Amino acid sequence: MKKFIKWVFSGWMLILFFIGFFLFWEYSIPLFDIPRYILPSPSEIVLKGSADLDKLIYYTGVTALETVLGYIIALILGVGFGIAISFSSILRRTLYPFFVSIEMTPKIAFAPLFISWFGFGLMPKVIIVVLVCFFPIVLNAILAFNSLSNELTLFYQSTGASRLKTFFSIRLPAALPQCFVGFKYAAINATVGATIAEFIGSDKGLGFYISIVTGNMRPDLAFAGIFFLTVLGLTIFGFVTMMEKILIPWHISMKRINK
Amino acid sequence: MKNFIEVTELKKVFGSGEDEVHAFGPATININSGEFVSVLGPSGCGKSTLMLMVAGLLDSTSGKVEFEKKLVNGPKTDIGIMFQDNTLVPWRTVKGNIELQLELRGLNLKDYQEQINNILKSVNLDDFADRFPNELSGGMQQRAAFCQAMIHDPKIILLDEPLGKLDAMTREKIRADFQKLWMVKKPTVIFVTHSIEEAVQLSNRVILITPRPGKIDREIKIDLPYPRDLNVKRSPKFAEYVNSIQEVFHKYGVI
Repeated sequence: MKKFIKWVFSGWMLILFFIGFFLFWEYSIPLFDIPRYILPSPSEIVLKGSADLDKLIYYTGVTALETVLGYIIALILGVGFGIAISFSSILRRTLYPFFVSIEMTPKIAFAPLFISWFGFGLMPKVIIVVLVCFFPIVLNAILAFNSLSNELTLFYQSTGASRLKTFFSIRLPAALPQCFVGFKYAAINATVGATIAEFIGSDKGLGFYISIVTGNMRPDLAFAGIFFLTVLGLTIFGFVTMMEKILIPWHISMKRINK
Repeated sequence: MKNFIEVTELKKVFGSGEDEVHAFGPATININSGEFVSVLGPSGCGKSTLMLMVAGLLDSTSGKVEFEKKLVNGPKTDIGIMFQDNTLVPWRTVKGNIELQLELRGLNLKDYQEQINNILKSVNLDDFADRFPNELSGGMQQRAAFCQAMIHDPKIILLDEPLGKLDAMTREKIRADFQKLWMVKKPTVIFVTHSIEEAVQLSNRVILITPRPGKIDREIKIDLPYPRDLNVKRSPKFAEYVNSIQEVFHKYGVI
């Protein structure tokens, strides 16, 4: 009960802040005489946006498909490569430094190339999402699978257990918290990748919508698009966080206690 | 059995060329089965290195280790092992951690339920079987690690400063637990420590290691009756052993 009151209270502050933020936004527009084609008020965004709702929902679906598809592919590839590199000294000396150096390049710079190679369809967007999500996942996975304590390593060696058994009993669960650091970071990147890919070349999706309406001097609709993108991003991030709570509840509780 | 473990001219050098670090040896040690042997030395003298080489968990540079005349050339598996940092995993309860030892060895958990309860009771952790390690104090964690290391009834027990991070009172308590278990089951114990008092209290024999590169300075047989409780610790003979060991390390300038 005490916890619940505490939760409501901390939630209250945030809600109050948002209400204050939007009120300030709403009333500063007439107050400072800001033209509508520069910055529309929240009420106008809601009003004009709802007239375009069908389109916005359809485009959200389009962008969501690109994002989720790319994210899942990056997840599978990232964890796969992460494990392979952690357990192979040859890959650690070849692929790993290669990945680290590529990590320094802004992946999004490849976007125009992919569009020119693969056209305006779904595939180039998915590839770009994969590219921006893959590196944080793979680099964190390598870190995760390499950071088992010396004592635990000696312990399982002293039991004579097979590599497969130790992998599933010790190495994998021990690696999950650090893996999720990568998963969460990638989840934030994913919508960014999809949006920019759509900016560069597409005929549907929220990124496409935002770039078109901005060109038409309709910032109200652009904000409506941004709102839907935010909801999409939050949903994906929320899902990953939920999976973390389900898969490694012991890690969450550990953090809480250490505070 | 006499000479159950035979360590011959064992030596460890880390790195090569200019980065070469001579960590330990050469040293020759014989240990009888059922003996409680302490390896005592200043930090960095290579006593943990020695223990890991005996367990086959670390390759030696030269020399050999034999168990019952059989050469060790890979990790020994009929052992129980404890370190300064415990080997409990945070995603399993105390009981689950004890079962981890059994699972990794492919033993049937059902056959061990009673033993798990008994060993938890013997270290007063029976009320904490379903708690996670991070919910326990450092001393309780180490007692849980003790149960984890002993549940499969190992013939050989390797202890690498298992009490190093604990407060004085908890150390006293777990020392008593070690002694109790050893007196009942008579495993062969190699106990690495830098506490003179601890070594004298628990062991049949104390092996004194010099500062790095660790070599054997001398071995001292501790001729005191078991169980070595507070009365034994207060006896003049106990103090004599402690003093004579202190003198040796004083000579090396480590204390």
